[in-house]
Amino acid sequence: MLVGKASPDDMNLHPIRYQWAYDLYQQAVRNTWFPHEIALKEDLGDWANMTDDERHAVKFLMAFFNPAELIVNRSIALGIYPYLKSPECHLYLAKQMWEEANHCVAFEYVLQTFPFDRTEVFGIHLQTPSMLAKEAYINRYMKRMMEDSLDVETPEGKKDFLRNLVATNIVMEGIWFYSGFMVALSFRQRNQLRNLGSMINWVIRDESLHLKFGINLIHNILEENAELVDASFAQEIAGIIVEGVNLETAYNQDLFPRGILGLNADYVNQYVQYVADRRLEELGLGKHYNVTNPAKWMSTATDVFELVNFFEAQNTSYEVDSGSKHK
Amino acid sequence: MMTQITITKRDGNKEPFNADKINRSIERACIGLTDPISMVTQIATETQLTLYDGITTEEMDMATINAAVQNIKEDIEYDKVGVRLLLKTVYRRVVGEFHDDPAELDAKHRAQFPVHIKNMVQSGLLDVRMQEKYDLEKLAAALKIERDELFTYAGVSTLLDRYSMRNEAQKRIETPQYFFMRIAMGLSYNEANPTEQAIKFYDRMSQLLYIAGGSTNLGAGTSRPALSNCFLLEVHDDMDHIAKSVADVLKISKASGGLGVSLTKLRATGSTLKASNTVSSGPTPFAKIMDTAVHAIVRGGKKKGALCFYMENWHYDFPEYIDWKHNAGDDYMRMRTANTATWISDEFMKRVEAGDEWYLFDPKEVMDLNELYGQAFSKRYAEYIEKAKAGQMKMWKKMPATELWSNMLTALQSTSHPWLTWKDSINLRALNNNTGTIHMSNLCTEICLPQDKDNIAVCNLISLNLAGHIEGKQVNWYKLEETVRLAVRQLDNLIDINVLPIEEARRSDSENRAIGLGVMGFADALEQLGIPYESGHGAEFADRIFEFISYMAIDESANLAKVRGSYKHFVGSGWSEGLVPVDTIARVEAERGFLTGLKKDTRNKQLNWDALRAKVKGGMRNATLMAVAPNANIGLVAGTTPGIDPRFAQVFSRNKFSGKYMDINHNLVKDLKNMGLWDEVKEKIVEQQGDISAINEIPSYLKQIYKTSFTTSPYAFIEVAARAQKWVDQALSRNIYLENRDMDAMKQVYMAAWKRGLKTTYYLHMKPRHSAEQSTTHVNKGAQFAKRGFAGVVASPISTEAPTLSPIQQSPVTVHETMPLTPNSAPAVEVVMPVETSRGFAPAAAQGALPIQPAMQQSLPGEMTASPISRDLPVQDVVKPVVAVAPIAVAPLQTPSYQPIQAVAPAQMASAPSRMGFATVVSSAPIQMPAASTVPTPAPIVIKKEKAFVCPIDPAERAQCDSCQ
Repeated sequence: MLVGKASPDDMNLHPIRYQWAYDLYQQAVRNTWFPHEIALKEDLGDWANMTDDERHAVKFLMAFFNPAELIVNRSIALGIYPYLKSPECHLYLAKQMWEEANHCVAFEYVLQTFPFDRTEVFGIHLQTPSMLAKEAYINRYMKRMMEDSLDVETPEGKKDFLRNLVATNIVMEGIWFYSGFMVALSFRQRNQLRNLGSMINWVIRDESLHLKFGINLIHNILEENAELVDASFAQEIAGIIVEGVNLETAYNQDLFPRGILGLNADYVNQYVQYVADRRLEELGLGKHYNVTNPAKWMSTATDVFELVNFFEAQNTSYEVDSGSKHK
Repeated sequence: MMTQITITKRDGNKEPFNADKINRSIERACIGLTDPISMVTQIATETQLTLYDGITTEEMDMATINAAVQNIKEDIEYDKVGVRLLLKTVYRRVVGEFHDDPAELDAKHRAQFPVHIKNMVQSGLLDVRMQEKYDLEKLAAALKIERDELFTYAGVSTLLDRYSMRNEAQKRIETPQYFFMRIAMGLSYNEANPTEQAIKFYDRMSQLLYIAGGSTNLGAGTSRPALSNCFLLEVHDDMDHIAKSVADVLKISKASGGLGVSLTKLRATGSTLKASNTVSSGPTPFAKIMDTAVHAIVRGGKKKGALCFYMENWHYDFPEYIDWKHNAGDDYMRMRTANTATWISDEFMKRVEAGDEWYLFDPKEVMDLNELYGQAFSKRYAEYIEKAKAGQMKMWKKMPATELWSNMLTALQSTSHPWLTWKDSINLRALNNNTGTIHMSNLCTEICLPQDKDNIAVCNLISLNLAGHIEGKQVNWYKLEETVRLAVRQLDNLIDINVLPIEEARRSDSENRAIGLGVMGFADALEQLGIPYESGHGAEFADRIFEFISYMAIDESANLAKVRGSYKHFVGSGWSEGLVPVDTIARVEAERGFLTGLKKDTRNKQLNWDALRAKVKGGMRNATLMAVAPNANIGLVAGTTPGIDPRFAQVFSRNKFSGKYMDINHNLVKDLKNMGLWDEVKEKIVEQQGDISAINEIPSYLKQIYKTSFTTSPYAFIEVAARAQKWVDQALSRNIYLENRDMDAMKQVYMAAWKRGLKTTYYLHMKPRHSAEQSTTHVNKGAQFAKRGFAGVVASPISTEAPTLSPIQQSPVTVHETMPLTPNSAPAVEVVMPVETSRGFAPAAAQGALPIQPAMQQSLPGEMTASPISRDLPVQDVVKPVVAVAPIAVAPLQTPSYQPIQAVAPAQMASAPSRMGFATVVSSAPIQMPAASTVPTPAPIVIKKEKAFVCPIDPAERAQCDSCQ
């Protein structure tokens, strides 16, 4: 069983029962990267030429992402990791938590390199109602996981576990982050902030794996606990996702009070709905919004292999291990 | 929602957004294309999606261009629209308003040219000779603005961004045709008739038949003509020279050159320093200074400083050197900007094969090793080993050669460094090392020039576009000859105009007159001819083409020598002995003691090499002639595949200084469009990340021609390079692409490269095992895991809310009615064609004029049917040491079986019957099955390994090939 109270056999990695989780761990290790590999300073020239609205968007994104990475870690540490029995999943989550920390430090590196008023940026998420609402939403589910009354062996306890997992993994990492990535990469698409774009590519590579893990975890838990699967719980989960989309819509109005070249709040919101539909489908819930992807250029940004001229940009496709016999 | 939008005009005034105006502008960019109405609608709609109140006119232009460009993967005609929209902004800036009238534009474009040149001379940006030497009116009359239609979007955007000159306000003030004319003029000052000659050069470049190297494109015609691309310098083991070298690196980088820097001579860590009785800190800290130096120079804001270190692998610190590019570790021991390469001897490769020990020494004690090569190196190396064993060396260590080899390749796989280059095939085959040993190659591993304390080697580059010489499925040999001759002349002219920042470089440039004519568009040409890259015929084509180009280049240099005189160090060179590049293979084989298996006779009966040998003996204008550069930028400008690279993928993105571009294979798209398949498969091609091998609808013979670099056998890369290298006097930037991470397989690939006589290899690209989640394709990870989640209990969308209208749906766009209409599409006719047995390009080839027969058409005569390796490497003849050296038993090239990617299509996984998850709870659900589960299970995509219809390279597969038996 994946979810439940820890028992002594849970400390044995072998025999491996959840190979998929172990495989994801191996891939995550290969994906290791460090912020200092990116020559971020080279983006400062672009920064100097950006409009106020563009700068606001970048700052706002950083203000969200920097604490958000730590919030994900809290949610994993307090709401996910303790209730999983599988050592394979623990391995993966340990690497994921390092990655979240690494992302946090990467965004910290951005904050230190760009001429930001850091106090101001750190203050944004504490003062902007749309951001506070997003954080409150995550905390709501996470808090439940820390209450004494939670018994993860019961169906209701397992449902709580899934609610928190969906809020953190599907909504925060799988929808909110993806919308932020699209905005960040749009600068790269216009040939601005190229190095930040390389960093975001790495973050997306990591987050894609987090999401793969999360979705796999949800599916496997549902499979092991068939009694949880009914129409009302399905509706509830879908509701959690739709609520997340609504919060993001409000946030995007603050991100883009007016538009910038290539982007405005409506555009980003349509993308959010497009991504949310994908997440709903991935959980077997069916599309809710039925919108098209407005950001067709994302095919260039993320969908195909990237050929990097090594003396022009950081090649972000390298993996750290080599010489493995298998694969 | 769009009604309140206002546009901020260039003068700062605001005007209401006028959709009609935008539509008209897009319409004009769509003239002559297949389906202009729907294209206009698409672009206009998507442009409006991104607008906001107060957007500037310039941003509007960009928004329109971006809207066009993001549709390129739907239809390559959007690329054309992007090109036209972008050029329009440039035309308007350079020649003023032209009312969208092509005739008016053409007239103004010509009329403005003399004014433009005079202004630029006056402002000091251009050399005064640009005005004094030329009949500007005549040059203006020669301009052909219609050639701008040849560009791809990525090409014209790169050209404008990187190479086009800017005024003080940083605005680009050159149209592409002005740009080509500037280069042509800037290299014709010293001609007897500069105007006539400039027109000839212009004519080649403006048709994208050849493109000059990056530094030439930036500097030609300007008042600071630093036109050389490549510099190779050696750092000597004394503090003054190290300091000077750091300064040289800075100066060369500033003048936009790429550097090769050899550190082999620097004494090892712990080696004693006489002056202070202390010990040296080794090469790493000094390299770090240079790494930081190149980082400091962002060349003209257009190109990062670029440098590659070279070190021989017997250096005591070599094990540390291997780790210089790792992403973890002490930053003082890591090079963040510079690249690394290793300079490998045959002795090392032989010791790896034999499982012998490898000794590492302090250069201070073995200073002559860096100057020696071939057997002379082996002999001296053995003597030092004896001294070490006898306790007569201060510093040395040993390790199994195989262990060092493993470490090198492990680092190569995980960091793509150090690149492998072979000093002995370089030096033994050189015709130009009569002035000294070649100690390194350059930044892109295609240059082989000697250097010493007084000479910093310099090379000047042009690459011809082979694809531009394919016409009606034939090579236009006459045109190719003309291109080669003009390119060589243009390069030779360059040397007398070039202004270099350092005396040692100036000397080397003027005394050797080294040039490097490259070739790009090789894979593109093969595709147009219908020849698979991975085939004996592809290799044969390389052999034949490179022989022809080499012949013409050498002949032209000999012609120039007759008129202009030989280069200073001609006497004593290999040329002066009447040698041509192919003659030097025997020397490598003699010194190594085994054959490369390469044939040395001609592939082109019309070429008289003996006559050329005699002519060469009489004089050569240039110490070197050919070098195949990677062309990462100029290949993009020319809209073709770079160098001898295979197609990276049928669709991929390029991360460039000038932007991130979608690259889609136009040849494939045209073929698929002709078959009526394009619309059906275009999304799948993106889903499969540009690999068509698992797409059932596409006929198998196209899959052979259109492989990706990761599905092509690495042995094909080696074979193409080996055949080309026969004729190329310098080297080729041979990128290697591997899908398979198995270390043993990788070792065999690189061992085979060495045995087959390659001089260098370049970047190693490993296929990523995991990439980011795709955005624009249909992704369902639940289905990929064969899970259905809540699908069994969910009937319909969760809430009753009406689906949100997308902004696209909210703002319909009216298309102007004066659109030039294309005739209504003809009624559908079903054409029944035998798909799998299609003869491909056979009808065209059957005309008989095709010099190189497409692979699938017919079996080729006798010799050519054999696969290249078996033919060129006769097993019986292999172990035949030509000189007295311990015979090395060499088996015929072992080319291990290459495993093509076994892609697992998502649909296949989704349809797996196991683990239906919630299917069991369906009965309890009060609602009907949702769409996801009512859709019939898609037919699984079965991936069959197609039987190759061309002779494979791999011997294991060859054993099953009928025509090889």
